[in-house]
Formats: sequence, C-alpha cells, structure tokens
Amino acid sequence: MHETRPAKITSDVVTLNDGHLKAMPLLLGIGVIGLLASFILSMFSSAGGSAFERFSFIYLVNFCFVLSISLGCMFFVIISHLTRAGWNVTVRRLAELFAMCAFPLGILFLVILLPVLMGYDFVYPWNQSGWSAHSIEQAEQIAALDAAAKPPIEQLKGAYLNPMFFSIRAIAYFLIWGAMGAFFLKTSLKQDDSGDVILTKRMQALSAPLLILFAVTIVFSSFDFEMSLSPLWFSTMFPVYFFAGAFMSGLITITLTAMWLQKNGRVTDEITTEHYHDLGKLTFGFVVFWGYIAFSQFLLIWYANIPEETFWYDYRINTTGWGIWSLILVVGHLFIPFLAIMGRTARRNRTFLAGAGIFLLVMHWVDHYWLIMPQMDAYGHVFTFNPLVDIPCAVGMIAIYIAIFCFVAKNRPLVPLKDPRLGEALNHAVH
Amino acid sequence: MADKNDKDSKLVGLLAQFDDPDSLISACNEARLAGYKAMDAYSPFPVHGIDPAIGIQRSLLPFLVFCVGFGACFAGLGMQYYTNAADWSPIFPGYAFKISGKPLFSFPANIPVTFEIIVLSSAFATFLGMWGLNKLPMFSNPLHRISRFKRATNDKFFLMIETKDENFNRSETESQLNQWGAVAIEECRQDLTDNQLPSWVRLVGLLGVFLLMLPPVMIFRNMGMTSRSPRLHVVPDMDWQHKEKTQVLSPVMENGEYLFTDERAMRKPVDGSIARGQLEVDSEMYRGVKKDYKAAANSAKTNARLVSASIEDKEDAPVEPDQADQAEDVSMWMTQFPEGVTVDQAFVERGQQRFNIYCSACHGYDGNGNGLVNQRAMALGANGQAQWTAAKSMHDATVKDDSKNPLGRIFDTITNGRNTMGPYGAQIPAEDRWAIVAYVKALQETGIQPATASTETDGADEEKQTDADGGSDKEEKTS
Repeated sequence: MHETRPAKITSDVVTLNDGHLKAMPLLLGIGVIGLLASFILSMFSSAGGSAFERFSFIYLVNFCFVLSISLGCMFFVIISHLTRAGWNVTVRRLAELFAMCAFPLGILFLVILLPVLMGYDFVYPWNQSGWSAHSIEQAEQIAALDAAAKPPIEQLKGAYLNPMFFSIRAIAYFLIWGAMGAFFLKTSLKQDDSGDVILTKRMQALSAPLLILFAVTIVFSSFDFEMSLSPLWFSTMFPVYFFAGAFMSGLITITLTAMWLQKNGRVTDEITTEHYHDLGKLTFGFVVFWGYIAFSQFLLIWYANIPEETFWYDYRINTTGWGIWSLILVVGHLFIPFLAIMGRTARRNRTFLAGAGIFLLVMHWVDHYWLIMPQMDAYGHVFTFNPLVDIPCAVGMIAIYIAIFCFVAKNRPLVPLKDPRLGEALNHAVH
Repeated sequence: MADKNDKDSKLVGLLAQFDDPDSLISACNEARLAGYKAMDAYSPFPVHGIDPAIGIQRSLLPFLVFCVGFGACFAGLGMQYYTNAADWSPIFPGYAFKISGKPLFSFPANIPVTFEIIVLSSAFATFLGMWGLNKLPMFSNPLHRISRFKRATNDKFFLMIETKDENFNRSETESQLNQWGAVAIEECRQDLTDNQLPSWVRLVGLLGVFLLMLPPVMIFRNMGMTSRSPRLHVVPDMDWQHKEKTQVLSPVMENGEYLFTDERAMRKPVDGSIARGQLEVDSEMYRGVKKDYKAAANSAKTNARLVSASIEDKEDAPVEPDQADQAEDVSMWMTQFPEGVTVDQAFVERGQQRFNIYCSACHGYDGNGNGLVNQRAMALGANGQAQWTAAKSMHDATVKDDSKNPLGRIFDTITNGRNTMGPYGAQIPAEDRWAIVAYVKALQETGIQPATASTETDGADEEKQTDADGGSDKEEKTS
C-alpha cells in the first residue's frame, strides 16, 4: 500500500515565473500582428465578400474558440463545487484562472459588437435592412397568395435580433461571466491565506444557482454569437452542442496547461498521473457526448426533413469543400479520439494524452469554423478555407488568450494552498 | 483432515489466514517473489495494490468487450441492411420496399439501432465475459467447506496457494506461509465422494425439456391447419384504420344522401392550396409559358387550376375554354429552353430514355407515330372494334414547324395532353419533360420522313387537327 501524503503543498514553485509574465507584451504583440496580418491578407482572399466581412467571420471563429475554452473551465469549477469533488482540487485553480479570462475576452468582442451597433452587417445578416430568407420573387409570390398573412418571421425575430438588444445581452453575458469568475477566484484565493472551511461551503452553496445562471448565459450566448448567423434556422439543441464542445476543450486546456507548467518546474508534485487519467476520462466522455449531441441534432433534422431546417445541413454536407470539412469533423472529432483515448494505458501516458489533447483542440477549432464560416457567403457555394487568412488569425487570438491567462495568473498560486480537500486530491488514486 | 483417506478427497491447496490487509499484501509479495503463480487472495473488501502483489495481469475483458462491440457495429448495420434493402436471398428475402421515395438504406436512420446493438452486445460481453473469465457458475468450491473461510466475507484475509503450482510442496509451502506471517494454515481438500447428480434431477430435467418442446410443436401443428374461428386482432386500430381506400364511395352520409355531391371518398385539395414543393412559380420551367406573357402572371392560380384539372370532374369544366384560348396564342409559348435547363449530350440521352419509356408505346421509337399500341389499335379500328386517333408523327411538318409548335407548346402537350393524348405531367418531372422535348427536336433533325401509313389514314384531317385544338372534334375523326 502506498503511503498517505499529508495535505501539504510540496512543490518548490507554485506560481508562474517572471519570464512568463515578461512574455506577456511579446504575446500581445504576436496577437496584434497575427490579427492584422489576417486582416490584410483577407483583402486578397478570393472568397466572396469584402475584407471586413472575411476578417470578421474568421475573427468570430477564433473568438468563439477561446471563449468556449473559458466557459468550459467555468463549468468545471462550478460542477466541482456542486458535487463537492475532492479529486480535482489540485487542477481546479487552473480552471478558475481560465474561467476568469472570459471577462477580458469581452473587450475582444468589441471588434464584432461595435460594427453591429454601427449598423454594418459584416457577420450577422439580421443587421441588414430587409433581410429575408427568400428571394424577392418568392416573397412576392407568397405575399400574393396570402394577403392576410401573419407578419413575416423576420419581423417577429427582429424583436430579439436587433443591434441594441443584442449589445445589451452581450454586455450582460460578459458581466455575469466576469462576476462568476471573480467570485470563485477571489474566494479560492482568500482561502489560500486563511484556509477557512466556511469559504468552501459558501462556494458550494452558491454553485447551484450559479450553475443555472451559467446555463442560461451559455444557451443564449450561443444562440446570439453563433446560431443567429443563420437567423431563420431552428435548433434548440444548438446550445447543448456548443456546451459539449466547450467543456471538452476546457478539460483539454486544463490538462495541457498542467503538463506545460510541470514541464517548466511548476506544481511538480501536486498533479499526478491519476489526475491526468481522470481528466482524460472526462475528456473521453465529452468527446462521446459531443458526438451524441451532434448526431441527435442531425438525426432529428434529417428525419423530419423540413426545408426550414435541412438547408443548414444540406449546405454543409452537399457542397464542395464543406462536405469534406464535415467528414473531417465527424472522423476527427469523434471516431479518431474515441478509439485513441478509450484505453486506460493511453490515458495514463502523458505524451500520448498531450498529443490527443492538441489534436482535439484543433478539431474543436474545426468545429467552430464549420459552424460559422459557411454562413459567410449566405450559401453562395464558396468554400472559405484559406490558411493564409485563417491561421494568422488563430495564432494571434491564441497568443492574446495566453497573454490574458498570464495577466490573470500573475503571481497567484497555481494550486489552492489550503483547500480542505487538498489531502483527498493529493492521495487521489484510480484503479 | 490429515487422517482423511486420499481416496475420498484431494488436496487442492493450502489456505493461510491473515488478520489485516497489509500483512496479506506483504505475504502475496513474498509468495510472488518465491515463484508461486497458482494462488489467489480473498478479502472482505477490495484492497488497493493487491493486483500487482499477487501478479495479476491486466484483464482480458476490456479487449473482449471492444471486439464484441466492434463486431456488433457491423452485425447491427448488416442486419438492418439485410432486412431493409436486400432482396437477393431466395429463402428469406429482406423487405426491400420503397417507401415514400426514401432510399432503401440510409446511414443516419440506422445509427440509433446500431448504437443500441453495440451497447447491448457490449453489456452482454462484459457480463458473460466476466462469468467466463471467473469460471462461473461454479456450483461448489472446496474453500466453502472450511469453516474458517467464512470470515473472508467479514474481517479476515486469506491467501491460498494451490497444489497445481509447480513450486508447491506440502511441508515447505506451509513453513514458508508461517514465515510470511500466517495466523493459521489449513489444508483445502476437494471431496471426491458422491459427485453424481441424484437420479430425480435427471428425470425432472428430461421432463422439463419435453414440456418445453410442446409449445413449438403446437404452433407448427396449427400452422398447417384451417380454423373456423375468426382470427385474433391483436392491434385492432391497425387492422381497421380510420381511412378510406382509393376510388370508393364516400362514407360521409346524412339521411341516406351523400354529403359530398361527387360522392367520392377521395377529396381534392382545398381551392388555392398548394402542396409543399409544388408552388412551381417559374412559368417557363413548369408550363413552358414565357415569363412576360400576361396570362401567366397569376401563375399560382393557374397552377391551382391545373392541379384541379388533373383530378378533373364536371364542375370544373370552365378550365377548358381558358386553356383553349391560351393555346391559340402561339406567342405565349417558349421558343427556347428555360434557364434552369442545360441541353447537352447527357440531357438528350436522358430525354431519349424517358421518351422510350413513356412515349414510344404510341409514338414509336423513331417518333413516327407507329408504336405498338398504335399498330394494335389501328388494326382493331379497321375492324370497327375500337375508336382510335392515330398517334402523331414527330416528323409531320406541323409538329416540326417552330412557328406553329414552339418548344413550350411541345412541353405543354406532354404536360397536359392534347386531343386524345393524355397528360403526363403527373408522371414525368418537369426537367425530364424538357429532356423529352430536346430529344423530340433531335429526332426531328434526323430527317426521317413521316410514315406513309400514318398519313394515309387521316392525312386529310392532319392540318385541321393541329390547327383546331378544341377537344370536341377528336371523337368524330376516327369514325
């Protein structure tokens, strides 16, 4: 039998070092250069639409990519407290830090939000006067057939999808996420000093209502940010799909960050193979959950075969380029990782798990690209993938995100120092 | 124990008792290092670290379950393919029925069932595999004859080293176990006496098998017999559905009168309603009428009339003069192919194939108006046994003349019929109708002369027939 470890932090260093913090301006610089390069190159992109439109779309893809990571980590924190989890205490601080990153991301969203407020329709078609799902000829025919028709659905949806209400909601989301992230991070940091058990109890008590608040905000933000790109498409399963990918990528990000920190001599003792194994199990579970939700959404629409819903999938499956992209998504986001991280041995091998994690993050990016980019040309049969535009933007956004993480983490401990369940986490073993 | 005769019992191992899990694990480690392989440990609860201590390899079970699940995936898909789409087996053909135009086999529809089959088979594989690997069910185990062993489910820990281990030596093993801290050591003996089943068990078993065979025998017997009692309706609302068959009288009656004046059970769509996907606003594509032609402006209404005309009855007669009026104005018809249609080799070949299927029966493969139906009908007509208007030759001057018979008019003829020719709009999709038009024009380019037989029969009436499109004179013509 192995010995029981005392509930004490034994690593030499548990914070980021100065080098990481000094790299922040460099990372921000890379970020800005990447985004600018993407914008300039999008002027020469052959795919339809203006440079503003092209850039706004790829920017939204990458923004949603990093935002979903933060939201996944926020869910990780909430669910840990809700279930009084002990095993993950040593990785929970990383999740708290990433969750806190959601608030600064609100500034990055201004790139999308300000044009919307100014009345440009770079991304959201509902921000265009007289937007309609039908061609003008069809609309006239329908109007002629039924003079006493109800107001068109575009008009009804306008009550929800208008620049002002959209902006209010967006600001509310980021404020709520900021408040939630700050609550968990501050309370947890306070416990590092005092070790007060009452702080854990307070977080546990609030985790249930905050989970509901989190659910509401993630549902409506996914409707607003991604689904409203196709405002006349209907799917109530879309937010669950968004959430499944978000939590999966959040888990992977925690895993990869912990590995990176340990490689750099941080928190070397606290996070063990047992933790990676369990994170890997959860990742595997949410790979399958993602597949389950993705297929459920597809099957319902495919089987009902109603034109109002099928067009969304029809375009993504039956056009050149997007068809292959969908296939890559199904194979890469479900089948390959399903087989790859199903085994115990695979999940306990750090190198392998890191490789699988990076692969899955790429697939998560592919997923957001698949959700957003086909809407760019309003089904004009343009396959938009252009590495010269898309990759600098992704690199830039990720660099900024890492800079935000360093900014949030500062010199704060990367593990909770005096959590009452620390002993349980340190002695965590999976059999 | 030692005094027992070896004829009646066999030594299977030495059972050593320990008082706490730590000494059990250390004893297991010692035994493994001493080279013992055939041994097993027993404890009231799962002890962490016992697997490596006793030298247990990773279980084969996950791999087994994976293989079964993987196989079940293909078995499930195969089963569905066989039942839904295969019809080649002569003995048990699948139900390869085309329903609502859906494909016989389509992946998305089959995935839920496949998924369930994988889950079910994997669960069975796990459960049965666990039994198999643990050699269950085991009706008796010599360990249960040792009274001390009962505490293995309560508070004591045991290690048994079996005699089948090649390092086993009765006295040496016992001293080793003592050395490793065993609190007590006992021999485990298998009773060799009286291991036969009691004879009544076999009797009951035989009787049970016999009784089990009765139901299938009775079912087979009844399958070959007739019965006078009415059959049992298990699902009555499937046997008696709330619907009417096609072409029957309406069941809706009041005071012995039909509520619907046409007395039909089949109802027409409500006026002005159009089925999904049937709006067909593009008059050029669907009616062969130029877009800017005034009569086509209210195309939706025209369409509704055409729909009602196709399930024609006498009240709707006013449609007729309208169509006749339109037909007289040749300028309304399209003189070229509509925008949605690309005329190329494949398109004309499609037209040829459709023409051969739908048109050649009367008009002949060469379009000369002398198909098999026409030949037979003409023969009967000559005997006065039938009334028949000779099928038109595609090569007649009037049919070929683009000013009198532009493309749109040919299209309209296929769609709505003309004179005695029936409408084919319901059978042939619009695109295929245009393909036939293209093929007809191609046939006309071949330079085939109109068949003499056809022109002789009603040559005088030829001009008259094409000019006057009123349907009234067609009856008299053949007489």
